[in-house]
Amino acid sequence: MARFLLARLVALVFILLALTLAVFIIDAAVPTDPVAANLGAGASQALIQATRHALGYDQPVYVQYVRFLGRVLHGDLGTSLRTHNPVAADLAQFAPATLELALASVILISVLALLLGLWSASGAPGATAIRFALVSLASAPTFFFAIVLIFVFYSWLGVLPASGRTTAGSATGFVMTRDLWTGNFAGWLDGLRHVLLPAVVIALGPAVAIGRVLRGSLVDAMTQDHIKTARSKGISEWAVLLRHGLRNALTPVLAMAGLQLGLVLTGVIVVETVFAWPGLGLYASEALVNSDFPAVIGVTLVLGGVYVVINAAVDVLQVLADPRLKDQR
Amino acid sequence: MTTSASSPEPEQPSGYLRLTRLRCRWRSAFDTIGRAERIALILGVGLVILLVVVPSFLPYGPADLVDAPLTPPSWIHPLGTDDLGRDLLSRVVYGMRTSLASSVLVVASGVVIGGVIGLVAGMAAGWADAVLMRLTDLFLALPGPLLVLAIVAALGASLAHTLIGVAVVWWPWYARVVRGQVRATVGMAHVETARLVGLGRVRVALRHVLPSAFGPVIVTASLDLGNVILLLASLSFLGLGTPDPAAELGQMTARGLTYLLTNWWVAVMPAAAVFLLTFIANFAGDGIRDMIERS
Repeated sequence: MARFLLARLVALVFILLALTLAVFIIDAAVPTDPVAANLGAGASQALIQATRHALGYDQPVYVQYVRFLGRVLHGDLGTSLRTHNPVAADLAQFAPATLELALASVILISVLALLLGLWSASGAPGATAIRFALVSLASAPTFFFAIVLIFVFYSWLGVLPASGRTTAGSATGFVMTRDLWTGNFAGWLDGLRHVLLPAVVIALGPAVAIGRVLRGSLVDAMTQDHIKTARSKGISEWAVLLRHGLRNALTPVLAMAGLQLGLVLTGVIVVETVFAWPGLGLYASEALVNSDFPAVIGVTLVLGGVYVVINAAVDVLQVLADPRLKDQR
Repeated sequence: MTTSASSPEPEQPSGYLRLTRLRCRWRSAFDTIGRAERIALILGVGLVILLVVVPSFLPYGPADLVDAPLTPPSWIHPLGTDDLGRDLLSRVVYGMRTSLASSVLVVASGVVIGGVIGLVAGMAAGWADAVLMRLTDLFLALPGPLLVLAIVAALGASLAHTLIGVAVVWWPWYARVVRGQVRATVGMAHVETARLVGLGRVRVALRHVLPSAFGPVIVTASLDLGNVILLLASLSFLGLGTPDPAAELGQMTARGLTYLLTNWWVAVMPAAAVFLLTFIANFAGDGIRDMIERS
C-alpha cells in the first residue's frame, strides 16, 4: 500500500505541474502584448522594452515558465485588472462562500445518489417513469434548473430566497460555520435557507449520474455468489444490500464521482452567477465578462488544483474499497 | 440475368439487393430497442431536418426588430419577444441550430483527433504508444472545462474560440477507445493475413484495423453529444460565446435573467430549448448504443 500511495503522490505532482504548464501556455497565447496593454497606449518603445526586461518577458520560454512556477508556488497570482487587488487575496476572500456551498452540495449529492441507487436497484415500482425522470434530470442545463426552482420557491411559493448568502446582505467568511459555532441558530437557519436552492441545483445532475451508476453496479454486485451465501444465512435483505452489496458496488461509483467533478466545477460558476452567491464562481464569471485575465488564470489554477487533488484522492479511495485494483494501475 | 445456374462462382448480390439487406439489418436492430429510444431517434432525425429546413420558412430573422419589446407569447409570436422586440421563436430556432451544429462539430473533432492519436498509438506500440497514451492520461487528468474557460478568456469571447477550446480538451476519451480497439484487433488473423499478402502499413491500419473501432466510437460519440450540448450552452451562458446580436441559447438565457421575475419567457424559452435538445440527444444516444450493441 505504501508503494502505491507513493506512486500516486508522484503522479499527482506531475499532473499539477502539467496543470501549471497548461495554464502557462494559455497565458502565453494571449494575442495582445500584456506589457504594452498594461502601460497604456501612450507608452514609449523604450519604456515598453524596459518593463519587458524588468518583468522577464525577454527571457527564453523555459526560464519564463520556471519564474511563473516560482510565483505560483509563492502564492503570487498577479493583480486583478478589475478589483486592483492581488488575485490571491481576492480568491482567499471568496473561497469560504464556495466551500460552504460545495459542502452543502456534496452532502445532498451523497444522500440523493444513495437513495436513488438503492431505490431503483431494489426493484421498487414505477421503474420506467423513474428512468424517464432521471434522463430528464440529467439533460437539463444547470441554468434551467436554477430558473425553474427560483420560479417555484421564490416567485410562486415565496418560501426561499433567490440570491445572496444571508438576508443581511452578501457576507464573506464562513457564515454558516460561524453561526453554528457561536450557537446563533436563527442566523444559521437563515444561511441554510439561502444555501438550499443553489446546492440543490448543483447536486441534481451529479446525483442522478452517480445514482444511475450505483444502480447498475449494485444490480451486478447483488447477483454474485457471496450475496447468495449472505442471504442463505438469513440476514435481512437490507443488511445484505448495505453490508455485502454496497461496498462491492462502490468502485464504479467513485469513478463516476471523479468524472462528474469537472462538470460540477463549471456548474458552480453558473449557479453562483444565477444566485448571486459571492464565491469563486461569481468572481470567475465577473472576471470572464470583464476580460480580467489574471483573475481567470487564478481561478483556473485554484479550482483546477482542487480537481486534480480530489481525483487523486478518489483513485486512492477506489483501491481502499477494492484492493484488487492496486495491481491494475 | 444471363448467368446460368451452373456457374461455379456464387452470385454477387446486386446493388439493390445489398441495400435491402442492409436495410433489413437496420430495421431489425431498430425493432430491438426500447420504445422511448425509438421515439427519440425519430424525433432526433425530425429535429435535424426541421432545423436545417425551417429557418428559411420563418417569417422573421433572428436579429429583426419585429414588435414591441417583451410581448408575451401569443399566436403571432408563439414564444413572445425579447427585451429589444425580437421574435423569440426565430431566435430560439436559430440558437438550436447553432447549438446542435457546433456540438456535432466538437464531437467530430474529438473523434478525428482522438482517432488519429489512438490509431497511431495502437499500431505503433512500443515507445510511441507509451508516450501518446501517457499524454492522453495527462489530458484526462486535467480539468477540461476549466481549461476551456482560460483558453477562451485568452483568445477572446466568440463561438469559434469556444469550439477551439473545447476541441483541444475533448479528444482523450476517443483516443483511449480507438487505441483499445486497435490493440485488440491488431493480433487477429485477418490483419495478419492482410500483412502477409504484402499490403502497406497504412492500408492495413485504415482498411483492416480501424473499422473495428467504428462501433465503439459511434456509441461513445452518441452518448457524448448531450454532454457537449450542455457544456457549450453553459460556456455561452457565462459569456464565452459570440455576444448579443448572435442567437446563442446560453447567452440568450443569461440576458433574459434580468427580466426573469417580470417577463419569464425571455429566459425560460432558450433554456427550455437547450433542455429539449439534450433530452432528445440523450435518449437517441441510448437508442443508437442499443442498436449497435445488439446488431
